[in-house]
Amino acid sequence: MRLLVEGMSKRYRGGVQALRGVNLALKPGVLGLLGPNGAGKSTLMRILATITQPSAGRVLWNDSDIAHEPDGLREVLGYLPQDFGVYPNLSAIEFLDYLAAVKGIPADAARRRISELLALVNLADAAKRPLGGYSGGMRQRVGIAQALLNDPKLLIVDEPTAGLDPEERVRFRNLLSELSGERIVILSTHIVSDVEAVATEIAILGHGQLLAHGAPEALLSRVEGKTWEVVAPSGELPALRTKYLVSSTAHRSDGVHARVVADAAPNGAARALEPTLEDAYLAVLAAKRNGAVAGVAA
Amino acid sequence: MSAVQSIAAIARADFLERTRRYSFFLALLFTVFLGYLAATGKIWLQFDSYRGVLTSAWIGTLVALTVTFFVSLVGFYIVKNSVERDRDTGVGQILAATPLSKPAYAFGKFLSNFAVLSAMVGVLAVVAIAMQFVAAEDAKVDLVALLSPFVLIALPMMAFTAGVALIFEMVPWLRGGLGNVAWFFVWISGIIVPVESQRWLDPMGLLMVMDSMAAEAKRYVPDYHGGQSFQIDVGNRAQVIQAWHWQGMGWEARFVGLRLMWFGVACAIVLLAAAVFDRFDTAKAAWSKRGKASKAKNGAADTVASGAGSAAVPVHLTPLAKPARVHAFGRLFVAELRLELFGLRWWWYAVAGGLLIAQFAAPLEVSRGPLVASAWMWCVFVWSGMGARERRFETRGLLFSCSNILPRQLLACWSAGVAVSVMAGVGAAARLALAGDAAGLAGWLAGALLLPSAALFLGVLSGTSKPFEGALTLAWYVGPMNHTPWLDFTGAANGRHEMAYAMTMVAIAAGCVIGAMMVRARQLRSV
Repeated sequence: MRLLVEGMSKRYRGGVQALRGVNLALKPGVLGLLGPNGAGKSTLMRILATITQPSAGRVLWNDSDIAHEPDGLREVLGYLPQDFGVYPNLSAIEFLDYLAAVKGIPADAARRRISELLALVNLADAAKRPLGGYSGGMRQRVGIAQALLNDPKLLIVDEPTAGLDPEERVRFRNLLSELSGERIVILSTHIVSDVEAVATEIAILGHGQLLAHGAPEALLSRVEGKTWEVVAPSGELPALRTKYLVSSTAHRSDGVHARVVADAAPNGAARALEPTLEDAYLAVLAAKRNGAVAGVAA
Repeated sequence: MSAVQSIAAIARADFLERTRRYSFFLALLFTVFLGYLAATGKIWLQFDSYRGVLTSAWIGTLVALTVTFFVSLVGFYIVKNSVERDRDTGVGQILAATPLSKPAYAFGKFLSNFAVLSAMVGVLAVVAIAMQFVAAEDAKVDLVALLSPFVLIALPMMAFTAGVALIFEMVPWLRGGLGNVAWFFVWISGIIVPVESQRWLDPMGLLMVMDSMAAEAKRYVPDYHGGQSFQIDVGNRAQVIQAWHWQGMGWEARFVGLRLMWFGVACAIVLLAAAVFDRFDTAKAAWSKRGKASKAKNGAADTVASGAGSAAVPVHLTPLAKPARVHAFGRLFVAELRLELFGLRWWWYAVAGGLLIAQFAAPLEVSRGPLVASAWMWCVFVWSGMGARERRFETRGLLFSCSNILPRQLLACWSAGVAVSVMAGVGAAARLALAGDAAGLAGWLAGALLLPSAALFLGVLSGTSKPFEGALTLAWYVGPMNHTPWLDFTGAANGRHEMAYAMTMVAIAAGCVIGAMMVRARQLRSV
C-alpha cells in the first residue's frame, strides 16, 4: 500500500497558485498535514480524493495514476471533506445507508457496519432523527462515520475536529490512532495538538509549498536547544516579538513569560525549555517568511 | 448608518454578488436571445393580418412588451434566491445580529431583485434602438417614444415580479417548489384577469397597448375587424400598412397612474414580506408539525449525544466480509428511488393514487390526456431534485469521491425518475394497450421518458430545481391543458403525427441523459 505524490502543482482559474511542486511518499500510518489558512491543504486533500485534477504532476496509488484510473483508489477511499452537507430529511441511518449503496456495500454488511459506526461516533441515540436538526458537531460525526463505511485503506480527513467538543475531539483522535495500523490516514488541520497526539509523520505546507516532511521527532530536533523562556516587563513584549519568534506568552506577577524560539539564548536570564511541535511548526513557517525555506527532513 | 444607507448597502452587495455569478451571464444571454427573436420578426404584434410601420414607438413598445412578458416569467426564477443565499451561507445570521430593521432588509433585497431585472430590460432597450436601424422602415428615431415603454410598461412589471419573488422567499411554504409553480399561475393571471374582467388590473400593460394600437388600426385599416395578437410566429408574416404610423401611447395621466400603481403594489408587497420575515430565526422555520417535532427531539438528542461521550471507547468495526460491489445497480436504484420519494406526506400519495385510479375509470381521451398530464405534473417535486440534490445539499464531495460514480449513480437516479413516471401514469398506459393504440402508447412512453430525463439534465446543469419546475409548469399549461401539438408531453394532441412525435421526444430524452452525463463528467473533474 503506497501513495506517491510527484511534482504536484495546482493553479486555479484566475491565476491563484494553490500548490507548487509538492512531493510526498506515504506508507501506512497517520500523516498530519499542517499549514496556515490558504496554505493549500484542502486543495491537496481534494486532489488526493480524486475530486480535483492537478495542473501538473501526478498521484500514484499502488503505482497507478489516479488521474487516469480514479476508481482504483475510490474503491478503498474514505473521504471527509472540510465542508460537506447532508440530506436534512433523512436520518443518520438512512443517509449512511444511501452512501453505502453508492459505495456498493451489500445491504446486510452495510446495516451492521452502520450500526457499529453510529455507536463509535456516539450517535446511536440520535440515529433515527432527521439530520436537519443535528448540531454542527453531530453532523461532523456523521461525516466521520460515512468516511469509514467502506473500511477504507486510504482515509482522508480534512479539518475533522472542527465543531467537535473537547471530549469528542479526544475520542476522534483515539479512533484515528486505532485505525491507522493497516491503512494510510491523512489528517489535515491547523490544530497542532490534534496532530501531535496521533501523527506518525508530519508535513507542513505554506503558500502551496511543502516546507517540511518527516517524523515528529525529526521536526522537533530542528528546534532542540533553541527554545527559551524569557521573562520581561509587558512593555518590552512588542520589541521581543519584533526580534524573536515568540510562540506563546503568559502574564505573571513578575512580568510576561514568553516562549521564544532562537538559535541562542535571548539574554543571560533566559531558561532553556523542551521544544514542542508547535514551536517547530512556527519555526518552519517563520523560516519561510524570512526567505529561508527549511530543508526537508527525511 | 441611516436606513437608506443600509438599504443601499444591502442592495449593492447583493447585486454585485449576483452579477459576478455565471447564472447572471446566462440570464443576459437569454435576454439577448429575446432581442434576437424580436429583431428578426419572430415575436410580433398583429391586428388581424396587419401591422403598422416599425416606428420608434412601435419597436419600443413591441420590445418592451416582449421583455415584460418573458423576462417577468423567467426573471422570477432568476431572482428568487436572494434571501435563500443569505440563509444558506450564514450571512443572514450575521445580519440578524445587527440593528438592521426587517423593512430595510426587505427593501434592500427588493432593490437588488429589481436591479437585476432592470439590467435585463436595459439590454433589450439597446436592442430596440439597434432594431430600428436594422428594420429601416422609418428613418426618424424618437428616443422618447422608443424608450418610454421600457420605463412605463416593463419596469413596473419588473418591480411587481421583484416584490413577489421576495415575499415568496419570506413565506416558508412558498420558498420551495410550491412557490416556483405558484408563480406561473400568478403570472398567467396577470394576462387572464384583465382580459376576462378587470381591464385595469393589468400588470403587464398588454391590454393598454393593444387597445391603443387597435384604435388607430380602425382608422387606417379599412377591413380591420378587431383581431389583435401578441405572438411568437415564425411563418405567418403580417402585412405592413404604410399609412399606419402609430405614434405611441401618448401616456395620458390616467395611463401613467395605472402603470405607476404597480410600483406601489410592489412596495406594499415588500412591506408585507418584511412583516412575515422570520429574521433568520431557525426556530420559526419549524412551521410544520413535523418540523416542530423534529426540532424538539433534536434539542434533546444534542444533550444526550454530547453528554454520553467517552474518550476510552475501543474501536470495534467488523471488517467487510465481501468487497464492495461497485457495479451493483439494483441497491443503488432502490436507494435513489427512496431518496426521491422521501419526505412526501400521505396526502401526496393519496392524490397520486386518486389520479391513477381516475386513469382507469375515465374515458380514454381524458385518461391519456389531462389526467396523465396532471398525474405527471403532480410528480414535479419528485423529479425536480434529480441531478440538483448533490449541489443543493453540498454532498458532492462525499459522492464524487466514490468509485464508479458515473454513470452508475446518475443512471440509478434517472431510472428511479422513470419508475415514478411509469407508476404515476400506468393507468393510461394500460388503457392505451388494451385499446391497441400503439401510437398512443408510444406517445405516452415518450412522455414518461422525457420528463425525468429533462429533469435530470436541467438539475445537473443548473444545480437547482427551479428550471425544471418552471419549465414543466409552463409546458403542462401550454401543452396538454391547451392541446398544443409538440408541446403536449402526453402525445395526445399530436393526432396522426403521434408516432413521429414519440420518436422525436425519445431522441430528445436520450440527448438529455447523455447531456447530463457529459456535464456531470466535467463536474467530477473539479467539484
